Amino acid sequence: MKYILTIFALMITTPAFAAEECNALDVKVTGLVCDFCARSIEKTFGKREEVEDVKVDLDAGNIHLVLKAGQKLEEAELKQLITNAGYDMISVEKGCPNE
Amino acid sequence: MKNVLAFAACCAFAWQAAPAYARPVSYAGGWMAMQTNDADSHSLEIGFSPTHRYALGYLGEYWRDGDWQFHGVNANWLAKRWNLPSSQANIYLRGAVGVAYSDFGAWDGKSEPAATLGFSADWEDRRYYTSYDNRYVEAGDIDHFLMQKARVGIAPYIGGYGDLHTWLMLEVSHNPTREDTFTLTPMVRLFKGDYLGELGISDKGDVLFNLTLQF
Repeated sequence: MKYILTIFALMITTPAFAAEECNALDVKVTGLVCDFCARSIEKTFGKREEVEDVKVDLDAGNIHLVLKAGQKLEEAELKQLITNAGYDMISVEKGCPNE
Repeated sequence: MKNVLAFAACCAFAWQAAPAYARPVSYAGGWMAMQTNDADSHSLEIGFSPTHRYALGYLGEYWRDGDWQFHGVNANWLAKRWNLPSSQANIYLRGAVGVAYSDFGAWDGKSEPAATLGFSADWEDRRYYTSYDNRYVEAGDIDHFLMQKARVGIAPYIGGYGDLHTWLMLEVSHNPTREDTFTLTPMVRLFKGDYLGELGISDKGDVLFNLTLQF
């Protein structure tokens, strides 16, 4: 009976977590070596309505973007924004943990 | 007195200034202000970058030895950038057109059309930095010369994003209008957030003080 209840509980709660939209992106870029210059990334994405938070990781050459709920940035647009900030985008992937 | 006023005018804008060779083009839609002071000149440059490729703005300079001023429209163009996995290199072309004014000696109260044209290149990773910069200045009868600067730098520690970053640099400059044409200037570059400052003292005892702000 306990197993049945456990499975039932999992069936109820798991869809709830899965329904939460992963709204973060990890963008790999090249040329990201100078903190002062990389401010352009914060300023470029800070102006975007879709973006809630930006974190730059100079060690990893990575930009972590958190998008507002229900918002998205297409890859082509993301690439153009990175170019406008002065860098080259290598790849983009979902930036949510456990994915 | 006019010298003092010219210097004071440059310093008055120092709150929005920046270092000479830090990054003459900002991001698309970004502003930048640079104010520099060294043995040769005091300068103020304020520029707007419509794209990440070029910047347009104002350049004002006071040349100490010749005792003359330049005021004009300035353009910086990022000709080429190499974004590499752990480093970045850039080539810039820089130019300005405007008016030179001198109240020194025979040129008392004289104005001349003037222009500058230069080339800059830099390479840096998170530990090492190197740059080269030249500039031809043409101010008619008042002055004309080609000057060059080169820098090497090392970061004593690797800071993360948002930390205070420190660079130890050595600049060698050549200005044919000076009696002793070569100058060596050891300096410290510090930057945090949107502010970048440089402080050094040359082998001739002249102070170098540069400030840069991007917004």
